[in-house]
Amino acid sequence: MATTYGIIVCDGTRCINSGARTLTLALQEQLDRHGLRDRVTISLSGCLGMCDKGPILVVNPGYTIYGNVTEADIPEIVEEHLVHRRPLARLAIQEDHLYNRFFRVFGDENFFGKQMRIALRNCGIIDPENLDDYLSLRGFEALAKVLTELTPEQVVAEVEKSGLRGRGGAGFPTGLKWKFTAAQKATPKYVICNADEGDPGAFMDRSAIEGDPHTVVEGMAIGGYAVGASKGIVYIRAEYPLAIRRITKAIEDARAHGLLGENILGSDFSFDIEIRLGAGAFVCGEETALIHSIEGARGMPRPRPPYPSVQGLFGRPTLINNVETWANIPVVLLDGANWFRTVGTENSKGTKVFALAGKVVNTGLIEVPMGTTLREIIYEVGGGIPDGKKFKAVQTGGPSGGCLPEGYLDTSIDYDSLARAGSIMGSGGMIVIDEDSCMVDIAKFFLEFTQNESCGKCTPCREGTKRMLEILVRITEGKGQPGDIEKLERLGDTIQKASLCGLGQSAPNPVLSTIKNFREEYEEHIHEKRCRARACTNLVTYEITEKCVGCGACRRVCPVGAITGAAKKLHVIDQDKCVKCGMCFNACKFDAIVKV
Amino acid sequence: MPTPLDLIKKKRAEAVSRIIGKGYLSTKRVYVGMATCEIAAGSKDVMEVFQKAISLGLTDVYLSQKGCAGRCNLEPTVEVIESGKSPVKYGKVDKDRAIQIIERHLKNGQVIQEWVID
Repeated sequence: MATTYGIIVCDGTRCINSGARTLTLALQEQLDRHGLRDRVTISLSGCLGMCDKGPILVVNPGYTIYGNVTEADIPEIVEEHLVHRRPLARLAIQEDHLYNRFFRVFGDENFFGKQMRIALRNCGIIDPENLDDYLSLRGFEALAKVLTELTPEQVVAEVEKSGLRGRGGAGFPTGLKWKFTAAQKATPKYVICNADEGDPGAFMDRSAIEGDPHTVVEGMAIGGYAVGASKGIVYIRAEYPLAIRRITKAIEDARAHGLLGENILGSDFSFDIEIRLGAGAFVCGEETALIHSIEGARGMPRPRPPYPSVQGLFGRPTLINNVETWANIPVVLLDGANWFRTVGTENSKGTKVFALAGKVVNTGLIEVPMGTTLREIIYEVGGGIPDGKKFKAVQTGGPSGGCLPEGYLDTSIDYDSLARAGSIMGSGGMIVIDEDSCMVDIAKFFLEFTQNESCGKCTPCREGTKRMLEILVRITEGKGQPGDIEKLERLGDTIQKASLCGLGQSAPNPVLSTIKNFREEYEEHIHEKRCRARACTNLVTYEITEKCVGCGACRRVCPVGAITGAAKKLHVIDQDKCVKCGMCFNACKFDAIVKV
Repeated sequence: MPTPLDLIKKKRAEAVSRIIGKGYLSTKRVYVGMATCEIAAGSKDVMEVFQKAISLGLTDVYLSQKGCAGRCNLEPTVEVIESGKSPVKYGKVDKDRAIQIIERHLKNGQVIQEWVID
């Protein structure tokens, strides 16, 4: 493969003022002149923090940083570095100190080119079990800055101004939550980090804590200062032993360095954090259920209001945010709300972390600016669909979200666009589905999950999801009845409207969104008893074609003896005996067995 | 009376000097991915290979673990950073590849192109 380069142009305010934007134009002109347009990508980044040397260009791979670049330098950079592969020593900034380490993750241009890392800025860069690594990358500087320069009111105002919204899924403005909690007179107050990640296929919070637990600790301390709390609790599920170990160590190390505990950094602010382990109930990710669980009660939600910001843990004002939200806080305070607002869209600021999974070449943990489209994520960051298969849908938001078909690929990633398209942002699960998957089956999978995890407190969720699941099961078994789709819609609508908490209110989403976007698949299952993806086993028959050489491999693996045939003769499957286990299909080396 | 900001800057300087004291300025730095997913893919074995090589006398190498950088399908990953050269990221590293990376790349400066993530 021809070497490709990725050029990052710093688009921070000061670089723009010193002419960064004309550089982009000059670059494009030079790339065209050398016929390099297809081999070089140009991306813009937020302030890279080297304002005194701006405008800044970074050429990857290699993270060669060019400073004080003028339009006149561009032809030379393109000619020398990109054509002759000789980095230009004259303009390169020779700083191999610790702060520049984060550039190296961009070396992998195909995967990282469209990404921007704020919450995950240190993930995969630092040794997560070494506080020194975090400190060396301006760790705890945001907390120190807050304690030195800002009043709690100013901190709340800064977070509010940043436009940061809750990354746990619902997208409630973080600053408002902080303001409400700060306004309460009752004491003591509490700060909670919700690390009870439970969506199937989601691993954002686990990776974030495992990669950089310190930023969560710092974020929570800032939150404590802002709302007037002296105690923080990390509620994390017990299934995450490594994440638990690392955040426990991060808390201990911070304490040993005087960054937690009494009189932090010589100020009169005191704050400490303890860990509570969750037993793995999905509903405990809901804030009121989570609070009950910490109190030692059964993890069940309760009606809101009163919201936790007024009456939370032990009836006291409580500020509760998700891991990713906390991880953003130090950056918001360090680089300022004004900078943070430059990333993202009108109503969704900053970036979002996604766990990209399913039928996509590069599965992985990614962080992209809000406003990136689904197409860019799946085809550029994700590298497209493997094995030449056709894209069918993308599922966002896990069991609370929906499936979006091809027509929605240009939807931009932000809270409002995804909701308008009929899905949700959610906590960041993103599963790509190709033509081999059946949408009814997918809906059934997610509903089975929420049905299992329903706490049983309110009837619509407890009974409604059960009835919906029964209907889905019968549809996939080929026993669907006319009117089932309408029944699902009616039930789904009722559950959404009448359930107590987010689990129930969102549980029908996977079903309703697949009905909306893939209604014909439901109809085929019900009326024609046909599954176009050939995923619903009861609707599939296995047949042996002319390609059969009579090797007998299928006959030997068949657990019910449904396959007969003499050696070197065409074999036959007895459809009455066949249990559709698929073992013959997997055993055949000649592609002679087909699903019809 | 120093402000919290003064104190944290002092702490940072101390942290940097401690990291340098551990050999950060070695000509080669090796990072092994050690998140749950990487460990599940076998990175503990890989880490042991590097640790053993250092205990047996491999010099001028700074070894560190790191968290998940996101390349799930290519784990375990190992990153080699050499001053003045492009960083090299290896994917799907197992014990054997780790030994090869030590012998060919770390000792002889030869990048093993076919395992590089690009």
